[in-house]
Amino acid sequence: MKPAPLDYIRATSVAHAVQVLAENDGDGKVLAGGQSLVPLLAMRLSQPTVLVDLGGLGELSYIRDESGHVEIGAMVRARTVEISSLIADAVPLLPVALRHVGHVTIRNRGTVGGSTAHADPAAELPAVLRALDADVVVTGPSGSRTIGAADFFQGFLTTALAPDEIVTALRVPKSAPGTRVAVQEFARRHGDFAIVAVFAAVELGASGEIAAARIAVAGADQVPVRAAAAEELLAGQDPSPAVLRAAAAEVAGATRPFDDIHGTADYRKKITAVLARRCLEQALPTAERSSAA
Amino acid sequence: MTEQHLPPGLIGARVRRKEDPRLLTGRAQFVDDVALPGMLEAAILRSPHAHARIVSVDVSAALELPGVFAVITGAEVAQACALPQPVIWRLIPDQRMTDLYALAHDKVRYVGQGVAAVAAADRYVAEDALGLIEVEYEQLPAACTLDEALADGAPLLYENWPDNVSCRQTVPKGDVATAFAAADVIVSETITYGRQMGTPLETRGAVVSWDPFTDRLEAWLSTQSPNLARDLLGEVLGLPVERIRVRTPDVGGGFGNKFDFYGEEVVAALLSKRSGRPVKIIEDRLESFVANAHSREQRIEVEVAAKSDGTITGMRGTVYGVLGGQLSTVGIGPCWAATVLMPGPYDIPNVEVTVVGVVTNRSPYGSYRGWGQPKANIAHERIVEKLARELGMAANDVRRKNLIAPDKFPYPSPVFYYDSGRYEECLEAAERAVVDRGWAKRQAEAAKEGRSLGIGYSFHIEISAIGPSRILNQAGLQHSGFDEESVRIDSTGGVIVRSGLSAMGQGIQTALAQVAAQTLGVPLDSVTVLTGDTETNPYTGYGTGGSRGAALGGGALLRASTRLREKVLRVAAELLEASPDDLVISDGRISVAGTGVGGRSVSMRDVGDATYRRLDGKLPLGETPTLEERDVLDPDNTAFSYGTTAVLAEVDRETGRVQVLDYLIAHDCGTVINPMIVDGQLHGGAAQAIGGALFEEIVYGPDGQPLTTTFMDYLIPTASELPAFETVHLTTTADHIPGGFKGMGEAGTIGGASAITAAIDDALRDLGVGVVQLPITPPRLLSMIEAAEAGGTATDVEEQS
Repeated sequence: MKPAPLDYIRATSVAHAVQVLAENDGDGKVLAGGQSLVPLLAMRLSQPTVLVDLGGLGELSYIRDESGHVEIGAMVRARTVEISSLIADAVPLLPVALRHVGHVTIRNRGTVGGSTAHADPAAELPAVLRALDADVVVTGPSGSRTIGAADFFQGFLTTALAPDEIVTALRVPKSAPGTRVAVQEFARRHGDFAIVAVFAAVELGASGEIAAARIAVAGADQVPVRAAAAEELLAGQDPSPAVLRAAAAEVAGATRPFDDIHGTADYRKKITAVLARRCLEQALPTAERSSAA
Repeated sequence: MTEQHLPPGLIGARVRRKEDPRLLTGRAQFVDDVALPGMLEAAILRSPHAHARIVSVDVSAALELPGVFAVITGAEVAQACALPQPVIWRLIPDQRMTDLYALAHDKVRYVGQGVAAVAAADRYVAEDALGLIEVEYEQLPAACTLDEALADGAPLLYENWPDNVSCRQTVPKGDVATAFAAADVIVSETITYGRQMGTPLETRGAVVSWDPFTDRLEAWLSTQSPNLARDLLGEVLGLPVERIRVRTPDVGGGFGNKFDFYGEEVVAALLSKRSGRPVKIIEDRLESFVANAHSREQRIEVEVAAKSDGTITGMRGTVYGVLGGQLSTVGIGPCWAATVLMPGPYDIPNVEVTVVGVVTNRSPYGSYRGWGQPKANIAHERIVEKLARELGMAANDVRRKNLIAPDKFPYPSPVFYYDSGRYEECLEAAERAVVDRGWAKRQAEAAKEGRSLGIGYSFHIEISAIGPSRILNQAGLQHSGFDEESVRIDSTGGVIVRSGLSAMGQGIQTALAQVAAQTLGVPLDSVTVLTGDTETNPYTGYGTGGSRGAALGGGALLRASTRLREKVLRVAAELLEASPDDLVISDGRISVAGTGVGGRSVSMRDVGDATYRRLDGKLPLGETPTLEERDVLDPDNTAFSYGTTAVLAEVDRETGRVQVLDYLIAHDCGTVINPMIVDGQLHGGAAQAIGGALFEEIVYGPDGQPLTTTFMDYLIPTASELPAFETVHLTTTADHIPGGFKGMGEAGTIGGASAITAAIDDALRDLGVGVVQLPITPPRLLSMIEAAEAGGTATDVEEQS
């Protein structure tokens, strides 16, 4: 378990990093926390010719309050986002979701840009980006462009990122005040990748009805899945047990899960419905929950 | 702690472990910390195929890589060795042996089997060189599962065998046919126990230096059995053992895996001889999942005949051991143990169990803490639970009806004599503790919230203090089972104990120090226990396995220390002008009994000085100088520990997840040397039992590719998945062992899965679910729940949820 020979370059700027990637013609890999990449290197599953370390790029380490959205630099550590009061106020789903990422030591190293670019379908952050319609800012030789989360995640560990582009920031829309959030994650052990996780952000109307719901699922498809049909079903409804059950079924219906050693596709689909229902129950007022189980 | 200075009482005292300051502050020395001048690092090329013929191996490009010093192939290993890799447990006389060498040369029979090895300047270069070795394989159809291996026309792993069955043996007791013919009720079950392994934090490793001029071989091994390893190195390499020295640094967890003798030790030796330099091989984690001994995988058929009052009159069974592509050091041993111990703690007059060892294209099946006993346990405990359901009795009432009564010891099981025990008292101690902890109330309250909690019990026995050498030899063991210990008091009264046992985190140094300190009457701090060097330390028979270290090492040391104490008293008597019979030793001072604090006394230092330095007028005439004794304990019998495990668990009926909420063990291992160490051993074993019951499984794909080769996929439970453990102790001494000690190193692993499955069944009792496959993963349990619900009780469940 020792990496194959490679060149290591510590980038001095985003432009420098992009230049090195461009020069290496797709054989470069970006080190941005290393929580997934380093094991892949050690097992020689990934054998890049050059490793571009973004660790020194302070310019990618910021959280900014913009109008309508929060911008998070790509090299911000997951733990920093998790404990940021700005994020807690503006995007309450994010810290709740990030608590399920590995363990604290992993979150201390892993970055938001790294997780986004790695695009593991079981990862929490991509699902949250998908739920909240966040944008991914990427930079390449010809400058920056913005890709919506719906278009960014294309398949298993596959994104819209070109080989000479790097993720430089995330733009996450602010949630409406009073938005209720919940995460239900089913993992075999605390800190494991999710077998399935469901993320919900729900806005309630004046009379307690569901004004709008945003729901995404990790681990039940090749990409993070947005449960649009369930969101439509919930909009304008009172959160009765029957409504939540119906919505949960729609969430499961939106997924195309796969088999692996931890669960079959069929199992994933079943627990997606269970987790979606529990997630909605958790997000909604307590009074609605007791009659729901 | 004050009791450290207060013998009597050190044996039985909860003293802190002497090892821990060093281990916890990073001062321990593991095999990877060994660095010798000129040392090379090696890596092993492993088979990517489950079953293939090796057509050719071309190492020329690897040899040309700068930094590469030596390359060796399987054919060269076979040529260089006097014997193939040894199998020491030869229990079945007509067993077909696999007789393979440290690296494969004709065929590969499992993914991960070594094919060639490289020694290079460092591990990076060695791994680069592996990529340059060209191996041409001719792939063969594989037999990757038990059923595939047993099927008609199955691919043969060994073409000179008629089938893939290595051995078959039936162990009888009494008249089973009559018992079954006369039974009121017969219940049967087939249990599938998944493939699992011990996963020590420190993977295996070896540093070997074979000096080409002196022909001396020095090895540093992360091993539980240094003397065995030394003897086997000698046999395999054709080298007299006096030229072999095995040193064992701190061992970062053994769990049985490191009892076995592996090919890497031989490969490191041969690479060292070739290169003329010391060679280090450290197994990385990825390799450990294919090269470390696998274990546990068995299919067990069990049935019992019983009277309508629950009395079991007969037991029949078959254990299919899913062996790998070659036999490990312990051969059929663990599967045989599962077979002969299947009646467990129950007084069953008629027993007939058969073991069938089947080779498959999987990694070899070797030792793992428990060594067959968790499977014997799941067989007798699952069948007792099923019998209870069949008869409408409480499972513990069926247990009580059949547990061996105290007056029946020594009890003849099909093979072993169980030495002593108060089984029913132990079961009742657990039942009382469960009442005290209010589990039934928790279960009832949870039910009101729609949650499903269950309470499960199991009873286990554990063979320990292995063991009587001649009897083990008669059974087929190609090694001994005694233990030798030496104890020396130096010229200043300090005590040095030398042991051949390995310190692998279990606390053996502390336990032995407690025995010596109490017996000699000295403070614990004055005792140093040295382990880990075959050149300077005594010979331990089997190794540090079979739950024998504390029992046999402790017993031997107790006897040696007792004799040494007598000599101390004789010398002190001379110094004090008193009779030895009138003297007492306390806290390192020898005084005349009854003379009080101000009475005449001498210190252990005075005795040391009189024995080593200033002898004249002090050392009694006729006494030899020096203060040293050794003892060898080859016990007349093994010793059987036992215990009751009780588990409170919750089942999530919608996902199949099981959470262990509370866990209790009532246990008896004879005289306890250190209750804290015993509790720690029980806790650690229980954690592994939880892993085995709920999480851990080595999964192979249909093509024989292992799919669980990292800790992301092979799931060992972490602190988050474990409950607090409670222990309750009984003491029934082993009267044939000095000190009355019984071993207990494997106890926690044995009964855990049985209690957890019983708790799951109890949580789902309205559905009639009976778990028969381990580990019971969430998908497996959910499908059992769904099948049971579809069977007609779906409405009830709907109301509950």
